[in-house]
Amino acid sequence: MFQPKPMSKLLIVASKQQLEPVITELYRLNIFHIDDYVEKGDEQWDGFKIGMPMKGADTISSSLVKIRSIASAFGIGSNQTDTVAKARIQELKRSIEQDLPTIAEEVEKLLSQRTKLEISAKEYEQRIEALKPFIDAPFPMELLRGYDSVSCLAGTVKGQVTITVPHEIWVNPLKTGAFITLAVKNTDLPAVERSLLDVQLQKAAIPEETGYAPAVIAEHEKKIAAINAEIETLTAKMGVIKEKHQHFLMSSEELLTSDIEQAEAPLRFATTDLAFAVVGWVPGDQVTKVYENLDRVCAGKVYVTELEIEDYNDGPPVEYNNPDFAHPSELFMDIYSRPKYTEVDPTLLMSIVYPIMFGLILGDVGYGAILLIMSLGLRSMVKGNEAGTQLINVLRNCSVSSIIFGVIFSEFLGFSLPWAPLWFSRHIPIGVATEGAVHHASAIPQLLVVSIWIGILHISLGRIWGALNASRMEHGHHKSLKMYANIGWILVMWGIIIMIWSKFPIMLMPDLTTMPELAGGLNIATIAGAIMLILGLAFIARENVLDLMEVPTIISHVLSYTRLIAVGLSSVAIALVTNFIAIGLIINPQLENLTPLGIVLIIVGVVVFLFGHTLNTALGILGGGLHPLRLHYVEFFTKFYRGGGKKYNPFGMIRKLTEQN
Amino acid sequence: MSAETVAVEVAAAAASAAGLKAVGAGLAVGLAGIGSGLGEMGIGAAAMGAVAENKDMFGLALLFTVLPETIVIFGLVVALLLMFQ
Repeated sequence: MFQPKPMSKLLIVASKQQLEPVITELYRLNIFHIDDYVEKGDEQWDGFKIGMPMKGADTISSSLVKIRSIASAFGIGSNQTDTVAKARIQELKRSIEQDLPTIAEEVEKLLSQRTKLEISAKEYEQRIEALKPFIDAPFPMELLRGYDSVSCLAGTVKGQVTITVPHEIWVNPLKTGAFITLAVKNTDLPAVERSLLDVQLQKAAIPEETGYAPAVIAEHEKKIAAINAEIETLTAKMGVIKEKHQHFLMSSEELLTSDIEQAEAPLRFATTDLAFAVVGWVPGDQVTKVYENLDRVCAGKVYVTELEIEDYNDGPPVEYNNPDFAHPSELFMDIYSRPKYTEVDPTLLMSIVYPIMFGLILGDVGYGAILLIMSLGLRSMVKGNEAGTQLINVLRNCSVSSIIFGVIFSEFLGFSLPWAPLWFSRHIPIGVATEGAVHHASAIPQLLVVSIWIGILHISLGRIWGALNASRMEHGHHKSLKMYANIGWILVMWGIIIMIWSKFPIMLMPDLTTMPELAGGLNIATIAGAIMLILGLAFIARENVLDLMEVPTIISHVLSYTRLIAVGLSSVAIALVTNFIAIGLIINPQLENLTPLGIVLIIVGVVVFLFGHTLNTALGILGGGLHPLRLHYVEFFTKFYRGGGKKYNPFGMIRKLTEQN
Repeated sequence: MSAETVAVEVAAAAASAAGLKAVGAGLAVGLAGIGSGLGEMGIGAAAMGAVAENKDMFGLALLFTVLPETIVIFGLVVALLLMFQ
């Protein structure tokens, strides 16, 4: 809890004869995170070289490329196939050897045919495009070319065309300017072109067609339709092939991927002529599993030992170690940065606090229920996508919290539930005049103070964890400086708070104004607060004087937590206004005196109601989701969190479509 | 001055006080919104660029983009206090 999984560093050494069994076994175990060997000229690793891929890697990879290209042509991905029965590896290997080349050839043929057809359809479309300006032309296209002493020219112009030499012209007026087709003597051509530049001539090519434009276009369109029909049949044929081979393609893709990863694993090992060595990480509780299994497959001819970890800060890969309900929040940690191995992992706290903050912002039974249904409905859509599933689960947790806070605040789509708010009320007097509306007096200042309390506690915890991280991650003199600086920040914050308390009585906060007075109108609390402030400033300055510039952020960060209530109230206000407009202003007056027009207006009112609440739900997800995230990232994490840990990525795969051998 | 006129004037004064409160609340949210909008304008564009270059920057980019938006929250809080206290 609050710590990543403990890791052990293992060294595996064996002779090269054991290379294959070791790799196969490690791959099957799927728990060994390989530290890639890099030739750095370390004395320790003198004489070791990066290994060579195993035999057959090139044929495997060429088959894999073929399969992947077919799969991408068909648009099939690994998560689209339902697992029916897992394929037997031997059978699969045989069919990869025998069937794959024929399938690949067939698909390639179909694909190239389709591409050819698509290209020719494009060509005809371009020819139609070129003919379009000539649709109204009173002459067939062949009259525009094939002369010895006369040139034809066509294009769009802007303005009036005046040509002084003998010519023949057809002008087709357009919205702006005109499209002209012009025939002049070859000798006059340069002069005519120059004069046409004044009216911004943009030349168009003379189509190489025969006949009147509309007839030619109709003919081309017929051809395009025929080509499209052919493409349809080809696509249908490909669909049949896809249906038939989808499972084979996906399972062999999986098999070959695992084969190629194993065949290329020696590239990450250190090898000599006769032996190999590999360093990697295994979760602490799985070490014996690696020992036993490797020993078994190599019949004792392998040396496995646990190494001492020299530098914790830059070594072990990080695997989260959280209870199940906290897994979805790992998404937010990964978006920011995975924690380092030695630092506090705040995922668990975030998985609790984040939904609470969401509920405080969007505390409404109606919206909560909508989001809950949405998250349950979207579940099937994100199947197979880990980040998507995590996001949906976060939404589910948040919507449950939203419903709970909705019950507490007594809110349902902005209406009041049949009971008074169990805690401070967020009801605002909007639409109170509406008949039947129940109004509970609001307690907004109290809620703002509560949000400030959340901020004070959250930030204090952040600083305590900051001190904890410093004690774990830093060394020597710097360690104590950092720890004291974090304590200093806490002292400054609480010093300021106590001084404020001693001067101003604030609701829901301790009232220190009545403490016995010492000197000059200052009471004990003021002086204690001032001492804490000065002591804290000294601690901060000892680590870095420039950090003192950041002291005002203490106040802005704490006040920033008021957004929990402020953003929440804005969503309450939108809901209330929507209800007031839809029901109070549009529907209710019509219900009193029903007329045909009134029924239309009632429908309009319902539309306004639905539109307003849809908009507010969307805003609620955005506001309720992003603001707590920001409070965590900006106000909370900046106090202690560093991140930058390596992801634990074990060598192996979870087989979905093929059998484990 | 009759008692009636005094009562009317007092009521008018109360109404205009409430109106000025509402104007103040509107100004607080509106001006603060413009301010944080201006602040986020440049950051947002730069953050987009950074994320386009390197997707891992998303978390950090989001963080920087939302920094100035505290200002508008302060505006909103001030408005709420004006209206409801």
